[in-house]
Amino acid sequence: MSSEENIKWINEQFKDTNELTMKTLEDEDKKAELFYIKPLIDVGLLQQIVIKPYFEMQSETKYIRYLKALPQFQDSKSQEQLKTEVLNGNVVLFIQNKFYLLDLKFSFNDQTNTASVETTIHGSQLALSDNIATNINIIRSDYHQPTLYVEYSTIGEVNNHKLAIIYDKEKVNKNALNIITEKLQQVDKQVITSTVQLSNYINNKKYSLFPQLIMTERPDRIVYNLAGGKVILLVDGNPQALIAPVYFFDFMTSMEDNYHSFYISFFLKFLRYTGLFISLLLPGLYIGITSFAPEVFRTELALTIAGSRIGVPFSSFVEVLFMLFFMEMLLEASIRLPKTISATATTVGGLILGTAVTEASLASDIMVIIVSAVAISTFVIPINEMAFTIRVIRFFFILAATLLGLAGLTLALYAMIMYLVSIDSFGEPYLKFNEKKTSKTKAGEKI
Amino acid sequence: MSRFYYYLISINMVANIIASVPAILLHYHNDGAIISMLLSIAAGVLLVTLYTKFFLKYPGKTLPELLEKTTSKWFYLPFVFLLAVLWFVAGLITLITFTFLLIRYLSPEMPIILICLTLILSVIFGSILKTDRIMYTVEMIMIITSPLILFIFFKAYSSKSLNWDFVREAALYINQLPNWHSFSACFFLFLGAANLFIFNRFFTDKQKFGFRQIMFIVLISVGTLFTTYFIPIGFNGFEGINDLVYPWISTTDSIRMDYFIIERVLFMFLLFYLGIAFLSILIHWHAAVEFLKFIFKLEKIKYKDKVIGIFLPLPIFVAISLYFVTVLTEYQLFQYSSYFYDVLVFIFPGMILLFTYINRRMKNEESSPEN
Repeated sequence: MSSEENIKWINEQFKDTNELTMKTLEDEDKKAELFYIKPLIDVGLLQQIVIKPYFEMQSETKYIRYLKALPQFQDSKSQEQLKTEVLNGNVVLFIQNKFYLLDLKFSFNDQTNTASVETTIHGSQLALSDNIATNINIIRSDYHQPTLYVEYSTIGEVNNHKLAIIYDKEKVNKNALNIITEKLQQVDKQVITSTVQLSNYINNKKYSLFPQLIMTERPDRIVYNLAGGKVILLVDGNPQALIAPVYFFDFMTSMEDNYHSFYISFFLKFLRYTGLFISLLLPGLYIGITSFAPEVFRTELALTIAGSRIGVPFSSFVEVLFMLFFMEMLLEASIRLPKTISATATTVGGLILGTAVTEASLASDIMVIIVSAVAISTFVIPINEMAFTIRVIRFFFILAATLLGLAGLTLALYAMIMYLVSIDSFGEPYLKFNEKKTSKTKAGEKI
Repeated sequence: MSRFYYYLISINMVANIIASVPAILLHYHNDGAIISMLLSIAAGVLLVTLYTKFFLKYPGKTLPELLEKTTSKWFYLPFVFLLAVLWFVAGLITLITFTFLLIRYLSPEMPIILICLTLILSVIFGSILKTDRIMYTVEMIMIITSPLILFIFFKAYSSKSLNWDFVREAALYINQLPNWHSFSACFFLFLGAANLFIFNRFFTDKQKFGFRQIMFIVLISVGTLFTTYFIPIGFNGFEGINDLVYPWISTTDSIRMDYFIIERVLFMFLLFYLGIAFLSILIHWHAAVEFLKFIFKLEKIKYKDKVIGIFLPLPIFVAISLYFVTVLTEYQLFQYSSYFYDVLVFIFPGMILLFTYINRRMKNEESSPEN
């Protein structure tokens, strides 16, 4: 293609935007054409390493050699690649009918954040940034292994987002990696802007309740999981990474567990699992015991509960649903509201509503205690997605207890465990203790 | 041995503490129950050893697969069907016993069909899971329930109401002739090893099964049988013990926890034992489904490209269970399960003959060149 044709082609490609800048550099017998999108690139750098040397160099061949030596120089294979690369902040140079790509991307979003979702007292407070290059930089500088492998691809047909698949080539769970890459190829959604959205698509199950990937903002968690052979997915413009495959117990570990001495982290874990069971079972237990089998508790306690329910016009499950519903509303409200108002909302909702409800005998005092205990225990679960799941699952337990009493509640718990065991996360059993055992049986026959 | 093997063995033992086994044993309390227990331990451990040794030779192979290789079609198809029925009935006994227990002690005003359905529905979809998932479920639920059950046993042993004089009195009856029904009931406790027929698929690695492992099984079984038989006697006295329908429930109801929020141990015991019953039904029915899958090639039955074959046994299971739970009385259940155990005493030792036959055929197959 001649130079004119090239120029024509590239103008054709970008005919619907007015942001493509074209510059012609001319000096004695040298001539070069420059294309770039101005807001995307570092103008100072362009002037310093591209334009200035151009006028200082003797010949075009020397300049081309100089360009090729630049660290920003990118190999380009096809003309089609040009379009995406220009949109990624590259500068295209046409010299002697050949094109050269320079990555001069200028980005404002490469500031690292401080951890805000998964906060810890000890350990690093660093969180990922919005920029994928910065994120990989953070991960690489925390994980010094030559086996760390980063694959790039793009997702989303319309917005062509950059996606990085990161794993340790030696340790990675190959089976899971294959499933993930396969599923990524099947994703054909128009616009994908966030990792969460991506996780819903590669999950492949529309109605799965339990999260199949962990979303995290902490580089230390990423590094920890890389070393465990897991796959990390990063989407450009997202301060969250996805980790797969996951086990149920991953959702119950906080990074802080590693930063404490054994007894303290054991205690913290104990608290967490107790919290999990309380938030799942307590409302159901209340219904099962008050409505079906009041004789389960010791006499004094049974009398106290019965006493506090005097005057409450509803049966226990209406009471529980009523209070839990308002608690969930309060939770939702306090997340969505601006920080300045949310304090008021919690005070009005939590304190005033709580007292007023018991004074009006719409719920018993014990019910208020139970609801607050349940709310607090839900927050003990370190990964947010799991906490959301638990909030939903709780209603199934309430249903089971309402219809079938204590036996129903217990059986529902056992059935939930069975369900958890039966599901997979990218080829790995979701609920399992011993990692070695499964990988061995996997190598064997079908089970 | 892998820890999962012991789960299989011990669940069958522990699950029957609450079911009809102690009732049958205590029924014959002055009629040779103790000597039958001792004999059944000897016979049971021998059976467990032979079964385990046999399956260790063929890691990862199930019995139907072995039969298909070594015997002809007219033999193995009806035989495996018989096994499926046996396993289904074993699960059914636990199911009905537990339904009766729940309606009697936990929620008397609930319709019996509803209670039974709760139990069935929570288990039934589990029985079509893959074998390894069943094993992981077993492990998880064991981890949750067993500490509390052990705690309750500890409470029972350390309770002041446990009168050791009654136990000594009962032990004096050792000099009677053994009794057939109590022997078969105890023998049933050891048939957990028979679950290897299907669950051997899970044990693909080479395992060690020597003297120490056998002694371990002897210890578990002696402990279980001792607890099953003597603790109710210690609590309720030697005379009249055979009038109790559920000796173990009455026993746990005699235990009190003074400082805890739940005073009567009975409820905790029932709810956590429900877990053991759940597992016992799950294991038995899974094996039953797998046997049926083998006979009728259920995976091949498809409707619009979806495999629906494996779901076919489930409605049948539900219907049969619901029918029996409404028809049977507690006395009949006790009687019929006693007959069932009697039949098993003949079938399972007989299978060792089959094993030797399979062994010989397999040896021939290995030595003859592949064709």
